[in-house]
Amino acid sequence: MIEQNKGMLFKICRIYQDDPQDRDDLLQEMTLQLWLVFDSFRGESKISSWMYRVALNTAIVFFKKQKRRPDSELLPENFDRPQDPNLGEEKEAQLALFYKALQQLDKVEKALIFLYMENQPYEEIAANLGISQVNLRVRLNRTKNKLKEIIKKMNYEY
Amino acid sequence: MNIDDLKDAWNKDEPAGMHLPVSTASLGKTSSAVATIRKNMKTEFIATLVSYIFLIAYSITMRFLVGPGVQTVFFLNIISILLFTILILNFFYFQRFYLFYKSIGRYDFSIKNSVNKIAYELELNTEIYKTYNFCVTPVAVLITITLMGGKDVFDWFMRLLSSNAFMSGTMLLIFATILISFLVTYFFVNLHVRLKYGKYLAELKQVMDDLGSE
Repeated sequence: MIEQNKGMLFKICRIYQDDPQDRDDLLQEMTLQLWLVFDSFRGESKISSWMYRVALNTAIVFFKKQKRRPDSELLPENFDRPQDPNLGEEKEAQLALFYKALQQLDKVEKALIFLYMENQPYEEIAANLGISQVNLRVRLNRTKNKLKEIIKKMNYEY
Repeated sequence: MNIDDLKDAWNKDEPAGMHLPVSTASLGKTSSAVATIRKNMKTEFIATLVSYIFLIAYSITMRFLVGPGVQTVFFLNIISILLFTILILNFFYFQRFYLFYKSIGRYDFSIKNSVNKIAYELELNTEIYKTYNFCVTPVAVLITITLMGGKDVFDWFMRLLSSNAFMSGTMLLIFATILISFLVTYFFVNLHVRLKYGKYLAELKQVMDDLGSE
């Protein structure tokens, strides 16, 4: 189950943590939490929806370490660059920029955009965040505009 | 660039350079807020048990160090009563902390409910922790001073208790000692809680605010 959805976990780590070691730690923590609370999954929703919820909750209450371990292994330098050869250079660059812009959002906005990009229905996103659908639509528009401004400030055309 | 146009690229993309933990043995070594709180709680519980063993063992050896006599027995009785009082206080607070320990870290609620629950429990328990230390630490300090002081402190207390006149100077000294030990405890417990959990709590409250503004 975790193996099948690992891409989702990797993306959450990438959005929520900018340090490679923190990303690894967060990935460990999310995997651990998925193991620990698996018994609570009652099949009322899709397994992927349940995983989104557990993984995002873990990411939101996860805090960076104060000091890095001296033996930390750094991730490859090209980690932030999408690796799919079919993406094309332009899309690849846009996606890398998009990830950088996402770093400037707050934790709730990151969760919102992540679920939106994962094509989750509005109903599911609202349920995962614990807000109403009306509020969700307002927030989504506001966050998209904020992202647009961030990307503009990064001197790119939106 | 349009966000919606990026959805395809997003869904095809899979970040490289990360690997899932290969075994459960490598899990549980992380530094999430909840894991840190749990670790601290466990350490403090063990430290309390060790301090009890130390105090009880020392109380027993005192009987042999000071030698037999009415004074020794009298003070050992008083110390036993104080230790038992602290034991009851410890039991009450630790069973409360244990419930908190078991309940924190449920991540399968909605984000709003999960963060609210963790923030509420964390704030409640830091306040309980402060009152617990405020009650227990000064008494424990006084017991330790009495035990460490040995025969001199025993004799001094005995003179005070058997005196016929009210010793205002001595009483003031005792009141000042008690007051200072309470103030020092209050200061350090607050500082400890703020340094240890203040940042986590502030971040959780920020998330609550972000989610709460409907």
